[in-house]
Amino acid sequence: MNMELSRRTFLKTSGAGLAGTTLGAFGFSEAEAAVAAAVKPFHLVNTTEARNTCTYCSVACGIIIYSKGDLKKGEKADIVHIEGDADHPTNRGTLCPKGSALRDIVKSQTRLTQPMLRKAGSDTFEAVSWDVALDKIARAMKDDRDANFVATNADGVTVNRWLTTGFLAASATTNETAFATYKVVRSTGILAFDNQARV
Amino acid sequence: MSQDLKPDPTVIGAVSAPPFAVLPDPARLFGVRAKRLRTYAAVSPLKPYLDFVAGLIEAQQAIVPTLPPVEAPAPEKLERVRAFEMPALERATTLLDDTLEATLDQLFDAAARVPMPEEAAAALTRVRLADGPVRAQMVRDVLAHDLPVERLAEHVYVAAGLQVHFARRAAALEAKKLVPVGDGVCPCCGGPPVASLIVEWPNAHGNRFCACSLCSTLWHYVRIRCCACGTTKGIGYQEIEGSPGTVKAETCDECHTYVKVMYQNKDVTIEPVADDIGTLGLDLMMRQGPYRRAAFNPFLLGY
Repeated sequence: MNMELSRRTFLKTSGAGLAGTTLGAFGFSEAEAAVAAAVKPFHLVNTTEARNTCTYCSVACGIIIYSKGDLKKGEKADIVHIEGDADHPTNRGTLCPKGSALRDIVKSQTRLTQPMLRKAGSDTFEAVSWDVALDKIARAMKDDRDANFVATNADGVTVNRWLTTGFLAASATTNETAFATYKVVRSTGILAFDNQARV
Repeated sequence: MSQDLKPDPTVIGAVSAPPFAVLPDPARLFGVRAKRLRTYAAVSPLKPYLDFVAGLIEAQQAIVPTLPPVEAPAPEKLERVRAFEMPALERATTLLDDTLEATLDQLFDAAARVPMPEEAAAALTRVRLADGPVRAQMVRDVLAHDLPVERLAEHVYVAAGLQVHFARRAAALEAKKLVPVGDGVCPCCGGPPVASLIVEWPNAHGNRFCACSLCSTLWHYVRIRCCACGTTKGIGYQEIEGSPGTVKAETCDECHTYVKVMYQNKDVTIEPVADDIGTLGLDLMMRQGPYRRAAFNPFLLGY
């Protein structure tokens, strides 16, 4: 069966080429007009369903994120629901209790949305810019590495280890991101490194 | 503690292993559909039409037990279409055989008892008189979706008869032997879907099935994917503001069409054909947008 041909014929009948409708042909034009009048005061709203990966752990379950509002039209989209992706081979629609509560994490008032710093001697966190945060992390890492780097072992063999710092990278990354993370972190000498949060 | 009382975590929660296809049950199919239409008729401004279609579908149900049995395709033919990923029931070679003749005759007789406006009654009279080559041509045109505007009503009666015929033919097949034949194409009869359903079954939790407009077979189809062209890019969902969110228009920015998606997991009484007709208001609103209707429903042509 030539589906391409069939589909074209079908589009012809369902599109502008067809003046009449089934309702008109059967003599129900008034009922159709009544429906048109009934829906007139209403608007259409756009919702989106997007596939994504759960951010919690290395199982990387598929999720579907439902949001209201159309980003393509410049509207603000708002997440209204998150559920397991029934088509995903890993979890087939199921989610663990933490995954089931993902929407509450997104909406949580205590959710971390920017770098926070608690200065020495202070008892509160304050918001800082990413530049400040990254500079501070880099300084701390550099100081720690300079102080504790192990270039050679007791036998004088070069080992280049940095054992006093660990690194935990995110789940839901691509293979490429994981590869780049590994190369960067291992090149500093860090051994305590996990590329997916196994929590 | 006895052996039996040990906890077995493997039985907690069913793993979703949806079947590829679910064949229709002609003994119930049309009755459920008509009942759903009557539910819509009680609250919809489309009541006159919904009552008429419900009557027609009740006639479809009424004739099912009295029809002669349908012939299943030959096993070697089924093997061949399976090997070449073709629909199990071929449309192009569907002939006006004695069984189909009997189906159409009985349906037209039963339909005559449904209250209807003059136009519909006149069309029914004309289609009852048409026989032989004229009727065979109408069958071919309906199966090819090549419906002439000026004789649309007659062809819709024939389409209703073909729905009964193909549902019975599909029911005689083996669901496990069906194979995917293409995006948005029924594995039984090669037709486009009337809508898609998000289901909540014991073996399918939140999976999506397309519903065939001709033979009412349900086939598994990945969610958030265009039912007409198969793309996963630029899919949106439009619904009437303030509606319960059970029927939405799944729009595609690649082929600029939409097919309704129905959340049967939120409302178990949803029936694809009935709800498609019952939500005509959504189609009328979608008409003003850039998307065209890609679904096929003989009772809702021209939108």
